[in-house]
Amino acid sequence: MTEDVIAARARALAGALTEAGFARLRVRDGDIEFELRRAVQPGATIPAPVPPVATDAEKPSARRDDLVASDVVGIVRLTRPVVVEGLDLDGDRELAYVETLGIRNPVRSRGAGRITAVFVTEGQPVEYGQPLFAIER
Amino acid sequence: MFKKVLIANRGEIALRINRACHELGVATVAIFSDADRQSLHVRHADEAFCVGPGPVMRSYLNIPNIISAALISGCDAIHPGYGFLAENARFAEIAADHGLTFIGPKPAVINAMGDKATAKRLMREAGVPTTPGSDIVASVDEARAVSEKIGYPVLLKATAGGGGKGMRAVTGPQELPTAFATAQAEAEASFKDGRMYVEKLMPNPRHIEVQVLADEHGGVVHLGERDCSVQKPSHQKLIEEAPAPVLDPAIRARLHAIATTATRAVAYTNAGTLEFLVSGSDVYFMEMNTRIQVEHPVTELIYGVDLVKEQIRIAAGEALGFSQDDLHPHGHAIEVRVNAEDPQNNFAPAAGTLSTVVFPGGPGIRVDTHIYGGAIVPPFYDSMLAKIVAVGRTRESAILRMERALGETRIEGVKTTVDFCRELMNEPEFRAGGIGVGWLPAILARRAAAV
Repeated sequence: MTEDVIAARARALAGALTEAGFARLRVRDGDIEFELRRAVQPGATIPAPVPPVATDAEKPSARRDDLVASDVVGIVRLTRPVVVEGLDLDGDRELAYVETLGIRNPVRSRGAGRITAVFVTEGQPVEYGQPLFAIER
Repeated sequence: MFKKVLIANRGEIALRINRACHELGVATVAIFSDADRQSLHVRHADEAFCVGPGPVMRSYLNIPNIISAALISGCDAIHPGYGFLAENARFAEIAADHGLTFIGPKPAVINAMGDKATAKRLMREAGVPTTPGSDIVASVDEARAVSEKIGYPVLLKATAGGGGKGMRAVTGPQELPTAFATAQAEAEASFKDGRMYVEKLMPNPRHIEVQVLADEHGGVVHLGERDCSVQKPSHQKLIEEAPAPVLDPAIRARLHAIATTATRAVAYTNAGTLEFLVSGSDVYFMEMNTRIQVEHPVTELIYGVDLVKEQIRIAAGEALGFSQDDLHPHGHAIEVRVNAEDPQNNFAPAAGTLSTVVFPGGPGIRVDTHIYGGAIVPPFYDSMLAKIVAVGRTRESAILRMERALGETRIEGVKTTVDFCRELMNEPEFRAGGIGVGWLPAILARRAAAV
């Protein structure tokens, strides 16, 4: 792919990026991989990296959503009752915890909203910054 | 042998360890920070875990996340590389508590050697000559008393020190109070340990170190010495070579003998390096580094031994596959550190995107690096981008080869030490060999005065 083609594609994607409300988008096309980042307004919250699954056009439900990411490396334990896509949260609640060397690191919804995606399953290993849930505010 | 090793490092050494593991048929797990997501070590490893954001305290020094990554990926050992957690005894203990083998010496030995004043005392007790000086001094007055006894100039050093931090040269008593206060503050800030000791400052000594390997069955060998006298004013090494040029064979033999004796005396295991100051016919033990060192390739190239593989084999409980009589150096090797630094501006570190990256090749050249064209040099980490190593049958051929290789090297996007080191290859005193640690600072001072 020539640089011109890459630039043209990047421009097209940049539009889609702004529309979709994503802060970051990583695209892989054969040997070419590039990442687009939206300039963040001062005072705005910076969402965690978007997982490949959420960049998929077939997942419009993840648009304009807050991503709740893990801030440790460990094993996900979903808090009961386990949240599912479409569930409305009245306020802040614990969604899961990530277990790191026997320590429970709680993952909270940080407010009310509708769960639009659950990216992890019970007992799944996760890394730092890995999205766990998407919440529509 | 281990099944899977977590590499608790980044940059070229993470790649170096990955290569050794793969050649041994061992699977690898890389760790990386948010800033290193596109780094080569992440791509080379079989698995990779992001352990935190860019700043090292939250990623490459984040012990819970690193141990957790090792456990959930099913590793049985951790290789710490150099820097970061390599000489952190607590990390080695925590790893062991979780059933992970730390590829390095035992925690008690790391602790003893990591505390420079303790290391000197242990070596003295083992009959190893150490620089005249003191144990821990509690105050400026105590430091002054010691300094008067051994005579100025002296070196104030932090017992937890390393990399030139917490260290001050003092030429007379009037400088002592300020030097003591600033060095101590630096040590407190860098190592959370402000304990200081005093050492006699040698006039322009050579920095010569000896590589050792010790298995867990009593086998100890040395792999000769390296001369690391080309040091920046900050005492950081820039060019290293093996063997040490123009060294009296009697002194060389003495260094090797002291190194193996000392290694046995402290019941050392795995790869280690004993650093000495050599001044005339005097030899003084400075410190022992309980890790693989940056400059290990020069030893590998002349001895034909893969030191990182040996580290892994030793940690897995294997006995050394060779004895001292099997080890014979061939030729001469020189390493140049390619740093993202501006030699015209006190080696100020630089960060940015590398637009062009072209490394040398051809006979006798080895390049250990993690960079590539388009790679980003984050601001959070050590500025070393690559190590270019040249080996030749003679020192002269290695120097000529290095000069040629540095000429082929093109790195654009940040300032580097490439051209500066190429110039140094042509300095008559370097060509002659046997320079001391004051040589490079003197060259820099001369150039500054000429401008």
